[in-house]
Amino acid sequence: MKFMPLLLLAVLWQTASMTGLLPATVLPPFSSVVAALVSLVTSGEIFPHTAASFLRAGAGLLLAVIFGTALGLAMARVRAIQRSIEPILLSIYPVPKPALIPLFMVWLGIGDVSKIAVIALSCLVPVVISTFNGARAVDDILLWSARARGTAEHRLLWRVVLPAALPQIATGVRTAIAIALIVMVSSEFISAEHGLGYLIFSYGGVGADDAMLAVVLYLTAIGFLIDRAYVAGLRRLLAWHAFAH
Amino acid sequence: MTCASYLSLQGVGMQFGGTAVALDSISLNIAEREFITIVGPSGCGKSTLLYLIGGFLQPTTGGVTLRGKPIIGPSPDRGIVFQRYSLFPWLTVRRNISFGLEELGISRAERDRIVAEHVRLVHLEGCEDRYPRELSGGMQQRVALAQTLVCRPEILLMDEPFGALDAQTRRILQDEMRRLWLRDTKTVLFVTHDVEEAVVLGTRIVVMSTRPGRIKEVIERDFDIADGDEFEANPRFAALKLRIWHSIKEEVEAVRA
Repeated sequence: MKFMPLLLLAVLWQTASMTGLLPATVLPPFSSVVAALVSLVTSGEIFPHTAASFLRAGAGLLLAVIFGTALGLAMARVRAIQRSIEPILLSIYPVPKPALIPLFMVWLGIGDVSKIAVIALSCLVPVVISTFNGARAVDDILLWSARARGTAEHRLLWRVVLPAALPQIATGVRTAIAIALIVMVSSEFISAEHGLGYLIFSYGGVGADDAMLAVVLYLTAIGFLIDRAYVAGLRRLLAWHAFAH
Repeated sequence: MTCASYLSLQGVGMQFGGTAVALDSISLNIAEREFITIVGPSGCGKSTLLYLIGGFLQPTTGGVTLRGKPIIGPSPDRGIVFQRYSLFPWLTVRRNISFGLEELGISRAERDRIVAEHVRLVHLEGCEDRYPRELSGGMQQRVALAQTLVCRPEILLMDEPFGALDAQTRRILQDEMRRLWLRDTKTVLFVTHDVEEAVVLGTRIVVMSTRPGRIKEVIERDFDIADGDEFEANPRFAALKLRIWHSIKEEVEAVRA
C-alpha cells in the first residue's frame, strides 16, 4: 500500500513509452529496464561488481565510523582538540568530496585505496559532527550521578558519554551510509574495472540505456534495503531510546 | 566546636561566573543521623548547597568538612538523588540499580542479591528489565533512590527528589522515605520547596533567604511524626507549617517589592 505511488509511476512510465509519448532514445520503456535487470541478475554478471563496490563502500564507512567516533568524542571532551579540529572540519564540510577523487588518485593510485580513502573522508564529517554533538549534549547530572556512584574520571567516557551519545552517533552513521553509496558510485565513474558505478558508466557509454538504468534501479533497491535494515537494527539494539524515524 | 560536628559548613559562599552570588556565608553544623530539610524560595541556592556537599562544586569561599576532613570531590559515601533525569537511559532498572556495585567490582551473584533486596525495598518488583523511559516519574525516582542506597552511603543528599511528581505519589514516597530513615538511619539532607514536605520529613528545618542565599533560620521540630497520617490533625504540626510558610513568604515578597 505504501508503495502505491511508485507502482503508479512505473505504470505511467510504461504507458508513456508504449503510446510513443516517451521515445526510447529519451528513456527506454520500464519493461525493458526490468528485463535488463533480470538478465543481469540471472546471468550473475552483476554480482562481482556488487561485491567490488560494497567492499569499497564498507571499508570506507568502517574507517569513518572508527575514526569519526574517536575524533568526535575527543573533541567533545578536550577543549584544545575541539579548537584545532573544528575549523578544519568546517572547511572540509562544504567540499563536494567527489571533486577530490583525482587528487586522491595522484596520491594513492587508481586502485581501491584511493576510492576507499575518498569514501572514508566523505563519511567522516557526519560521523564526527553527530558524535561531537551527542557527546556534548550529555547532561551534567548523568556525569555527576556516575561520579557519585564511584565512576572514576577516566572511565566516564566509556561508562556514560559514549552510551549516552549512541543514538546521535547512529543517526550520523545513517547519513554516512547514504553518502558512502553516492561517493562509491562517483569514484567508480572515473577509473575502475569493476563496480556498479563502472557498470553504469560503461553501459551508458555504449548506449545500452536499459542496462544502465537497470543498474541504477538495482542500486536504488539495495540502498533502500540497507537503510531499512539499519533502522530496524537500531531499533532493536537501542531499544532504550525512542527513535523518531 | 567544629571538631565535634559530623558535617560542617563554615562560611560557605558560592559565586558563579564572577558576578551573581548564589550562596553567602552559610554556616551549619549537622550531627550524624539528623534528617535536615532545606526549604526556601526558588533560586535561593538550595540545590547549589547540596552540590557543594556532594563535592560536584567547590565553594568560592569557606569550606565543607565531613568528620573534620574537607570534601574535595564526589564519593559513593555521599549518595545523591536528583530531581529527575538522573537515571542512565540505556540501562535497565536492574543495571541502573547495580551501577554503583559494578563500579566497586562486586561479584555478579552478590550484585544480584543486593539489587533484588533493593527492588523489594522500593517496591519495583517486576520492573527490573524495563528501561527508564518506560517508567512513570514516581517509579523513576524509586529507581534513583535504590541506585543511591545500594552504595550504602552514610549521607543521603536529596535534591527535590519528589518535586516533579503528582501530589499522591509524592505523599506515598514521603512516607516511604521516613520509614526508610527510621529503619536504617542515615544522615539525610533533603532540599524541597514544599513546606509541608520539609516539616513532615525534617527533624531540623533550614529556612533559606532569597538570593543571595543565606540561612534565615533553623527550626527544630519538637514533636514526633509517627508513621501514618495522624500528624495532619496535630495543631503543632499546623502551627509549624504556618510559621515556616510565613517566613518564606516574607522572602518571596521581598523580591517582588
